Amino acid sequence: MNAGDSTCTTTKKRMLSRREVLGAGGALLLGGGIGGALWHGVRHEHGYRAEVFVGKADDYRADLAGLVSDGLRTLGVSRNDIAGKRVLLKPNLVETAVGRAHINTHPAVVVAAAEALRRLDALEVIVAEGQGHRRDSRLVLDESGMGQALAQAGLTFVDLNHDDVVEVPNAGSWTSLKSLYLPRTLLRADLVVSMPKLKTHHWVGVTCAMKNLFGVMPGVVYGWPKNVLHWQGIDEAILDINATVRPALAIVDGIVGMEGDGPIMGTPKPADCLIMGRNLVATDATASRVMGLNTYGLKYLRIGSGQLGPIHPWNITQRGEPIEAVETRFDVLDKPHLAQVVRA
Amino acid sequence: MSWQRTLIDRLLAAANDGGGWGYRPQSPTGAEPTAIACLALHAHAVEPDRWDRGLASLATLQRPDGGVPAVAGMASPCWPTGLAVMAWMLACSRSPQPYENQIDRGVEWLLATAGRRISPRPDILAHDQTLQGWPWVEGTYSWVEPTAYATLALRTTGRAAHARTREAVKLLWNRAFSDGGWNYGNVRVFENTLCPFPATTGVALTALAGEPREACVAPAVDYLNSTLRHIRSPVSLGWGLLGLASWQERPEEADTWLAQCATASSVQAPGPLEDGLLLLAAAIPGPLTSGVKGGSYERRG
Repeated sequence: MNAGDSTCTTTKKRMLSRREVLGAGGALLLGGGIGGALWHGVRHEHGYRAEVFVGKADDYRADLAGLVSDGLRTLGVSRNDIAGKRVLLKPNLVETAVGRAHINTHPAVVVAAAEALRRLDALEVIVAEGQGHRRDSRLVLDESGMGQALAQAGLTFVDLNHDDVVEVPNAGSWTSLKSLYLPRTLLRADLVVSMPKLKTHHWVGVTCAMKNLFGVMPGVVYGWPKNVLHWQGIDEAILDINATVRPALAIVDGIVGMEGDGPIMGTPKPADCLIMGRNLVATDATASRVMGLNTYGLKYLRIGSGQLGPIHPWNITQRGEPIEAVETRFDVLDKPHLAQVVRA
Repeated sequence: MSWQRTLIDRLLAAANDGGGWGYRPQSPTGAEPTAIACLALHAHAVEPDRWDRGLASLATLQRPDGGVPAVAGMASPCWPTGLAVMAWMLACSRSPQPYENQIDRGVEWLLATAGRRISPRPDILAHDQTLQGWPWVEGTYSWVEPTAYATLALRTTGRAAHARTREAVKLLWNRAFSDGGWNYGNVRVFENTLCPFPATTGVALTALAGEPREACVAPAVDYLNSTLRHIRSPVSLGWGLLGLASWQERPEEADTWLAQCATASSVQAPGPLEDGLLLLAAAIPGPLTSGVKGGSYERRG
């Protein structure tokens, strides 16, 4: 179920809890997943296969909980996987500014995901974020409308920037960081769900399910911005965080995304869809295709291919709507370092 | 009972066994919430024996080289060192000053620490990238908030004229938005000018109090005056009002806003840092630094 090991076989359906994976067996699973599969060819991405669901929705007033439930069912996420589990929803809640609601994951999508997971008898669903620029999460909650939406849905919010922290071994090795400090709330969760906004990014091309996990890194340790991770290399840090956090699921808000100078200053771009997947590498690969971009131009996906998941279309089974039904070309900033992200 | 009494009681009850405060009750001691709590309780004339152990807990956090880590149990980062120095200065009216050694070592660490230099890229970033202030994390770039905390500490310890303070002041002026305010420390990235944040604007204005009134002060004050009336978040309102008070611009409605903020409900429960900032903003009529060294503020009301 988790990005590092779940999709090595298509038959593996049991959802490992994060506590199981991050325990003593976690390193072995991950190490075995990577080390034992080295002989696989690049084309086969070391045996990784994944399913990604695309569901159409052109309005935040649509039955999004129903759509998320459809997606979960299609992806094989059952009551057995969710019942009794603590689930942490990690939206992309970055900044607020007048007329710029498209910066953040829409509250309706977060509430819909919570509702769908509650229908499957999740023990607890919490929403948590650690903003990269603004320290004052209460202000972002107030101004984005997320706080009110969560209150109405009976959901609690945890500020991961100021949570208690726990040092864990870095399960990746793309940066030089030997360990990562993660919020205790995140580690207590059985399942972490990355809930990004579908956006272009002025440094790495696309910010989606994988990059969204920068927001679990506590600001008290990494700063505002989380500059330690920038110095380590954004692409490399994305991979290390994903290898270590091992999220269970991604639900991407692509109803209205952002193009151009994302992740903050870009312009709204409707893509009229939610994208869901149990493997975040595959989910982001599909997202980049929905955005009409060159998947292979995204460094963190290129490196993550066969290491944390699949990116080749022949290794990803598309469920729900075909990509062509929602594909819409997102503009990226016209800069040399992003030229390879644009599809020829 | 006034909201201030309620928050003082809540803050006192939230202290850890060791005397410090975490970001949340029962959390490990954090240097920032502890320093802010001590400053706030002192500003409200709470008996020193109720917060003295907070100062002592900051001393137990301090590393041999003088840096004060953000959270107990971690060796770094030490970005709250300036705040810890400010808090220890509260005891400076006592004789002998019990934290003289800690202050000296804290200042030594601040003077030995600087943001990492980068090769300037004016095509990407608008600000002067050669200026050095302080980073959040040792070995990384200079940003507004840690630079402001360090500046406050150097100013409070009588080092307003030190070369590092002067460069930090330059950096802060340089990172201000011409339309008013500060954000984390980038004015423009690529073609787009970014947006200011109220809390960071308050922190920067607080750190710059005592400097000549540069042209960017007025728009920053205007920015805070226009935004704070809509904000009921403790961190932004607290720092925003402290910033305005630092330049004698505290709005008449400030007490009403603070009371509304203190009693507002949210999906995110306030912790000691939030309570401390509201209390501090309620008590302090002028620059934050003015009351620290002398051991007492000219209290409002």
